[in-house]
Amino acid sequence: MPARAAPRRQLSLAPRAKDLPLLLVYGFAFGLLNWAAHLWGGPGFFSLWYPAAGLRLAVLWHCGLRLTPWLIVTELVTDCVTGAIPLTGSATLSSVIGAARPGVTCGVALAATGALLRGKAGVLTQPPMPLGLAAIAAPIFNALAVPPLEFLFWKTSSYRSGVDVVISLTGLAVGDVLGILILAPPILWLAGAIDGGTLTKPRLPRGRLLADALPLVASLLLTAALARAGLGVQAAPSLLGGAWIGLRHGRAAAWLAISAQAFVFLTYSASAGSMTAADRLELHIGLAAVVLVTWLAGSFADTQTASQALLDRRNRLLFQAERLKTLRAMSVAVIHEVSQPLSTLAIEAAHLRKLTEGQDTDLAESAALIDRKAQALSEMVRRLRRFGGRDVDEPSLVPLAMLVKTACQIVAAEAGSQGRTVDLAALPPDLVVQVQEIELVQALVNLLRNALAASPQGTASVAAATAGEFVKIIIANPRPVRRTQGAGMGVGLIIARTIVEAHGGTIVRDDDAAETRFVLSLPLSGVLP
Amino acid sequence: MTTEKPVVGVLDDDGDLAATVARLLRRHGLEARPFDSPAALLNDLASCSFGCVISDIQMGEMDGFAFADALRSRDPGVALVFMTAWPTTAHAVDAVRRHGGLDYLEKPIDEQRLLAAVEEGVAWSVRERRIASVTASFTRRERHVFDLLVRGHSNKEIAERLAISARTVEDHRASIVTKTRTNGLAQLVALSRGEP
Repeated sequence: MPARAAPRRQLSLAPRAKDLPLLLVYGFAFGLLNWAAHLWGGPGFFSLWYPAAGLRLAVLWHCGLRLTPWLIVTELVTDCVTGAIPLTGSATLSSVIGAARPGVTCGVALAATGALLRGKAGVLTQPPMPLGLAAIAAPIFNALAVPPLEFLFWKTSSYRSGVDVVISLTGLAVGDVLGILILAPPILWLAGAIDGGTLTKPRLPRGRLLADALPLVASLLLTAALARAGLGVQAAPSLLGGAWIGLRHGRAAAWLAISAQAFVFLTYSASAGSMTAADRLELHIGLAAVVLVTWLAGSFADTQTASQALLDRRNRLLFQAERLKTLRAMSVAVIHEVSQPLSTLAIEAAHLRKLTEGQDTDLAESAALIDRKAQALSEMVRRLRRFGGRDVDEPSLVPLAMLVKTACQIVAAEAGSQGRTVDLAALPPDLVVQVQEIELVQALVNLLRNALAASPQGTASVAAATAGEFVKIIIANPRPVRRTQGAGMGVGLIIARTIVEAHGGTIVRDDDAAETRFVLSLPLSGVLP
Repeated sequence: MTTEKPVVGVLDDDGDLAATVARLLRRHGLEARPFDSPAALLNDLASCSFGCVISDIQMGEMDGFAFADALRSRDPGVALVFMTAWPTTAHAVDAVRRHGGLDYLEKPIDEQRLLAAVEEGVAWSVRERRIASVTASFTRRERHVFDLLVRGHSNKEIAERLAISARTVEDHRASIVTKTRTNGLAQLVALSRGEP
């Protein structure tokens, strides 16, 4: 199931022509789901599972936050048409505000998740995880927004007691969670498939369906057995089963498990007429926990799989680069080994040919032939060498982290003996620049050497960050108290600047109060997939 | 002034190649001697007047540049030509700029270029030695006067520059002429350029 890395950032809120049919379909679907939800309604809460919330989240996630106001308008229109909002009477305003609240909080939840995770690294920011977090944040925000609104607009609460408030808000959150996690994933999968043109098969463990079905059935049977024994409908067995399935087989399997469990539980809670509202709420809280845990487990497993795949890919690339390097070094060595004896051979062959020139003998013919071949071989070695040399100098795509690490290693080797240290901050691992590797490493080494030499404690630090289409490498050292006469002549910086400028970059000195800082900017060529 | 024919030293840790290049040069009328270690060549410096040395850069015991520095410190009048099987731009620049190499030849060696470089080197060495032998007999002050003289300065200018009287300059000049057995400024200038 495809999911966006983060909600798209859109500045323009104006609707586009192609949004209109989408909003029409949305209004219709919203009305239908809204109606379907009332089957699980109860006193003090609207419904114990609310699929319309899933639809809302999926649409906002896929199409971007700019649609938020338009979805809210569509929902209000639908509510008016279906009569959910009375058009006359004193309740109109409160109904409108109440109906707009979920849309607003859903938008806020998505924006907050995006803002929270933007620019951070770690397993939480890898694709399926943000959606999982947004799916939890949206219902919580929605529920939390109720009391302040009640207080602001109605002064006198419609709830009779604190217990009522808790039941109502919990019911609301639980209903949204169930609705979102059951409906949003398949909608997003479908939307992604339509975008991509083909229906990508979700990652389902082939032939392991049985292995997943067994714990599922077992947990349901255990639940049933516990209920028979008079212990009530307990969610714990399903919790275990769901976590197990999600962790083992990812989101697709998790979603199937969620759907199956939700089907069983919801059917039960809708059909069990004798159930009290409190029992039903308890059951649904349990179900929400099951669904959340299962989904997060599935997302986590998928993220892990994706990270592992990325890691493997990087390892392969590095291995390949390493092998190419070895091959290059080997071919240079071979050229050298060949050129040494060939020098002697070519000179002697030419001499032999000259000695025998003009003689109409077999010997002269042999000598001429040997000389010709030796000259041809010499020419080939020269050509090969030129080719190899250019290859080495040609700009190639190099991971930034590798460049910086190489430079640090070179400097660390000579700095270590003098008790100096370079502090290397964590580098973004996926940035790639198009550079002449050896030259750029030289530029970095020069800057690092300067920083170490100028630092009173013999420490320097390196960090890197992206800035638009550029990557900035910041090399800093603590400022000396008074200017000392360095041992160098300032040539290192000039060389570094020449190299970096030849690559379309810049070196700028950007000191702050405590540190001397040189900022090396290079055009970014891409990001590792 | 030396009258014996300048020797060309060929230094390569691959003895076969050194011998081959030396034979090639001898065929072209040059006095050439092969060496397979820097130490051997440096040992022979005292007994033999080299005009030019062709040296490999990557050698086992002593790298070609270190050898060049050792050679220069003992005899600054020897021309140097480098040859290598591992050509790099950085080395080529170093060879010419820092170590005073006349040329930087890639193996397999281009014969014509080698011969041209060696002939140029020998001629340069001859000039250098000639200038050295002329100026060797000068005092320090005479050397200063000579250097300014051949650059076209008048007696008065030289006196101002060196903060001595014009009369003293004239004395030095007379001494220089006597020592070099020359006749007039034109010959002195020719001497300073190593022309016979």
